Amino acid sequence: MFDLETNITAWTDRLRLSEKISEDDVLELEDHLREEIDELKSQGLSGDEAFLISVKRMGNITSLSMEYSKVNTEDLWKNLLSDASKNQNYYKDIFLVLVFAIIAGTLAKIPNFFGLTMDDLAYFKNLSFFILPVTAIYFGITRKIDKKIVTYVASVFLISLVIVNLYPSYSPNHTEVLTALHLPLLLWLVTGIAYTGKKWKEYKDRMNFLRLTGESIIYGSLIVLGTMVLVGFTAMIFETISIDISDGVISNIGIFGGTTAFMLTIYLVEKKKSVVENFAPILAKIFSPLFLITMIIFLIVMVYTGSNPSEDRNFLIAFDVMLVLVLGLVIYTISARDMNNRINIFDYINAALIITAIILDVVALSAIINRLTEYGISPNKLAALGENILLLVNLTGLLWYYGKYFKGKIQFKKIEIFQTKYLTFYGIWFSTVVFIFPVLFRFQ
Amino acid sequence: MDISKDLIAASSTPLVLAILKNKDNYGYSIIKKVKEMSRNEIIWTEGMLYPVLHKLEKEGLIESYWKKAETGRRRKYYRIKKEGIEELDKQKKQWEVVHSTLSKEITFQEEE
Repeated sequence: MFDLETNITAWTDRLRLSEKISEDDVLELEDHLREEIDELKSQGLSGDEAFLISVKRMGNITSLSMEYSKVNTEDLWKNLLSDASKNQNYYKDIFLVLVFAIIAGTLAKIPNFFGLTMDDLAYFKNLSFFILPVTAIYFGITRKIDKKIVTYVASVFLISLVIVNLYPSYSPNHTEVLTALHLPLLLWLVTGIAYTGKKWKEYKDRMNFLRLTGESIIYGSLIVLGTMVLVGFTAMIFETISIDISDGVISNIGIFGGTTAFMLTIYLVEKKKSVVENFAPILAKIFSPLFLITMIIFLIVMVYTGSNPSEDRNFLIAFDVMLVLVLGLVIYTISARDMNNRINIFDYINAALIITAIILDVVALSAIINRLTEYGISPNKLAALGENILLLVNLTGLLWYYGKYFKGKIQFKKIEIFQTKYLTFYGIWFSTVVFIFPVLFRFQ
Repeated sequence: MDISKDLIAASSTPLVLAILKNKDNYGYSIIKKVKEMSRNEIIWTEGMLYPVLHKLEKEGLIESYWKKAETGRRRKYYRIKKEGIEELDKQKKQWEVVHSTLSKEITFQEEE
């Protein structure tokens, strides 16, 4: 029995394989195909006949994608190279992912020879040096990035590695903890330069990197969750035959499992773009309204109970984590948005989310300033102050541009340009905390 | 009569713009419209139309948006922009020049 829907799906999936055809184009062509089929069916053809003729009329898919490549010429050469050897590339990529995961895992074992273990702050501080340089090289190879850029990125990694480890650290080690927290963020941005290559200043490329970041977090969480289930299950079945594997085996496999999960995530998000592109906007649409409701309820409860984050340090930290989450979701929604769409309800939801985040940020800022005047300056408070100001400017800027966009004064693109340009300030701030704070506070 | 590939390509931009000037439209319908208007003389293929549409969009002559069609499916419509109308007027004038030159040549030959 001929199933029309299955066949149409198969056809659109073929289209999606071509890197030249965007999801938007696929949907447009699918609608065209269906129209053609309906027309033929109304003339008395059966489903399979209509499908065959319509597909034939739509032309050879590869020739169609060739026509498309004339429009999206930006990286035509890449397509010409990869189309011929698609299958070969697939195995090559998987091989690369595995090799790089093993390299990263081995790197992560090195500190053990110096007597450092996972529990040491010094080990924790260096965590990003095991995986991110490897990721940067992976991007360099798979995305065929200019050698100069790769060298440049590598030297930034090297210099950071030396400086961070040469800095002494004295009790209570506040600046070292701050370094450990900010270094991965800074180096992730540096890795972003290896991802975008020569065009690292351009907003479209930066936006792609932001999208990659958001999707990596989602995919990464899925993979980690899956792994946890597997590990738990394995431990459980071994326990039934009275063998305890939870210590030795798992901690050894753990590192390699972790690096493999990381590289696999990057690979999946990068290569399986078409699947993700379908998935991402849906996720954004599910979670933004839910987040908005949560935030509004939280704000109401906070006002009603009269709680104040300046009284409790943990409350303040939770506050900031929530802020970052909301901003992350806002930016992810922006990056997942279809540029061609007109203003819709989700734009308003996103703007509302920004407003609630601004309120939260103002509350947090006043709490920090309260604590600063009450207890004096400390590295943690100064870092928190800087971060909250940075977030406040970011959020206000986004709201300002959203307002202009709603009035029809600017294109949506302008919002993206603002957000991507603003990334530079995060980079500057993260480097300040990592490199200047320790000196400023005498490495305490 | 077979119209040459070159001529079809050259006339695609003004034809698309003219159709969109009349009203917003989508790919499948544009092909049908051209076929109708030319009394089955000009048959466009999908592989030709979409690149033209996307090129015009990139050049800022037209813009696209998604809308639910009567069929219940989401459909991508194209709308002409101010720049597109200006471009259409320009191209129309150019075609008229070509057309009148051609007719003149013929009458000139006849006079001889």
